[in-house]
Amino acid sequence: MKLKRFLLRYYPPGIILEYEKGGELKTKSIDLLDLSQETDICALVEEIKKTEPLITPPRTEQVKQLIQRLQEKLGQQDDHRFFLFKVLRAHILPLTNVAFNKSGSSFITGSYDRTCKIWDTASGEELHMLEGHRNVVYAIAFNNPYGDKIATGSFDKTCKLWSAETGKCFHTFRGHTAEIVCLSFNPQSTLVATGSMDNTAKLWDIQTGEEAVTLTGHSAEIISLSFNTTGDKIITGSFDHTVSLWDVQSGRRVHTLIGHRGEISSVQFNWDCSLIATGSMDKTCMLWDANNGKRLATLTGHEEEVLDVCFDYTGQFIATASADGTARVYNASSKKCIAKLEGHEGEISKICFSPQGSRILTGSADKTARIWDPYTGRCLQVLEGHLDEIFSCAFNYEGNTIITGSKDNTCRIWR
Amino acid sequence: MHTATGWHVLCHTVSQTWRGLLSILRKLKNAPDQEVRILLLGLDNAGKTTLLKQLASEDISHITPTQGFNIKSVQSQGFKLNLWDIGGQRKIRPYWRNYFENTDVLIYVIDSADRKRFEETGQELAELLDEEKLSGVPVLIFANKQDLLTAAPATEIAEGLNLHTIRDRVWQIQSCSALSGEGVQDGMNWVCKNMNAKKK
Repeated sequence: MKLKRFLLRYYPPGIILEYEKGGELKTKSIDLLDLSQETDICALVEEIKKTEPLITPPRTEQVKQLIQRLQEKLGQQDDHRFFLFKVLRAHILPLTNVAFNKSGSSFITGSYDRTCKIWDTASGEELHMLEGHRNVVYAIAFNNPYGDKIATGSFDKTCKLWSAETGKCFHTFRGHTAEIVCLSFNPQSTLVATGSMDNTAKLWDIQTGEEAVTLTGHSAEIISLSFNTTGDKIITGSFDHTVSLWDVQSGRRVHTLIGHRGEISSVQFNWDCSLIATGSMDKTCMLWDANNGKRLATLTGHEEEVLDVCFDYTGQFIATASADGTARVYNASSKKCIAKLEGHEGEISKICFSPQGSRILTGSADKTARIWDPYTGRCLQVLEGHLDEIFSCAFNYEGNTIITGSKDNTCRIWR
Repeated sequence: MHTATGWHVLCHTVSQTWRGLLSILRKLKNAPDQEVRILLLGLDNAGKTTLLKQLASEDISHITPTQGFNIKSVQSQGFKLNLWDIGGQRKIRPYWRNYFENTDVLIYVIDSADRKRFEETGQELAELLDEEKLSGVPVLIFANKQDLLTAAPATEIAEGLNLHTIRDRVWQIQSCSALSGEGVQDGMNWVCKNMNAKKK
């Protein structure tokens, strides 16, 4: 094993090691999820050296410098105020979802008008229109971190794979017998997973365009799915009230997470793949041990359905969005609610942390998106202007640009 | 259960507000027996949204052209009626078929005073009735805007649209004013009596 070079990853903090083994170039990452400004760098590096043989004494100084840079990045004050930059009359019918590529240089919008469009973030110009679906384009994704491919899932029961650069369609994945409503690339960008109203999820091989495996077992619609960071496991949340954990390679169900008393709305892994958070119409969010499928906690407090859940990048916090118009932040280790985000005048359908973890973004039926301090629960900004409900919203990786997609057929860029 | 008196429940409906993308999916799925999916179609300015709001007992004083769609759920006679009001402007009519799946009843709304567009609305209706995904789906035609003096009576519209040639489904034409509410309940009574057999 020979170390070739280091790569720095800001969010979540980590160092990627590129090394050679048996003539092959490989990478592995040292996650520094607990890194803070108070962390003693020398002690940390000593700790890393004990478990990581690639970090040899001559490399120690370099690693120290890298960690210092991560620390500096973490220490940057986040007082960015957002202003409306552009209103994109994006589609002739309501938008469904929006998503950034990793660098944030472009983003995509899906719509009831059966198209997906690629936009240049800096200019707000339309780069490509992805045409071909015969019904609503509902679920969309970039194959981040690469960002050279886009997948679209449609109510026409197909999923299409496109080139992000040319807008050309590589493959149409056929096989589902009902609407596709969620999808995701695996982190290696070799597979696309699609979840459907036909009660199944399917994994598709990006190279061959063939179906790799069908995940069968749910007795109702699959509404949400998520790969873990390593890409060997995938979870699916269903209207049958359960969540399934599957082995990606074999397509076998490893665990069934039973406990919710209502339809599942959202499922998420944390970064280190140890925890699963699930939101449900039963008004709760549940935390599960990803290794044994056992329930660790039930996060209560919402008075209506929980519509979306997310972890921050380091996996230390969980945020929940509810039809009761509030959002909540919970500490993942203590399982206590640390902040209640109050102010929206309608249900909150989307919630996400900024990659830095220092901000929360919510999109609501009250036509506004809001930015919050996750620790105090204070609303820092109200993004007003949409003429109808906001269905989706997202931060770019730098955390300094926001896009919102609305039922008013427009997409807005805030920065 | 399907008597006219049962309809009064509607007057005390719990009108559910629109609920985000997730609720669209919940309404999209194969609904339980007591849920009914009703599609409201018709040309622009026919009064579909006014009708929808009238059914949900909401304010109808500020209604703008629908650029997309509106969904409301109302309770009636033990059923939950999920009403999908789809914008009728020409450029978005090709997208009507996005919403055909699992439709239990089609309500087609006509502006009875807009005689210049009777032919156009007749064509659109004929095309809908030819759609495979809507085959056999009961259709209620609302001859709306009867509050206007220039409104054509329902019988005249039925004749002009050759409604009597419809033989592959049950149908009904009902004159109404979505603005005043007159005739709306009669039409909805017909809907509840004639919705697809599987729902009963």
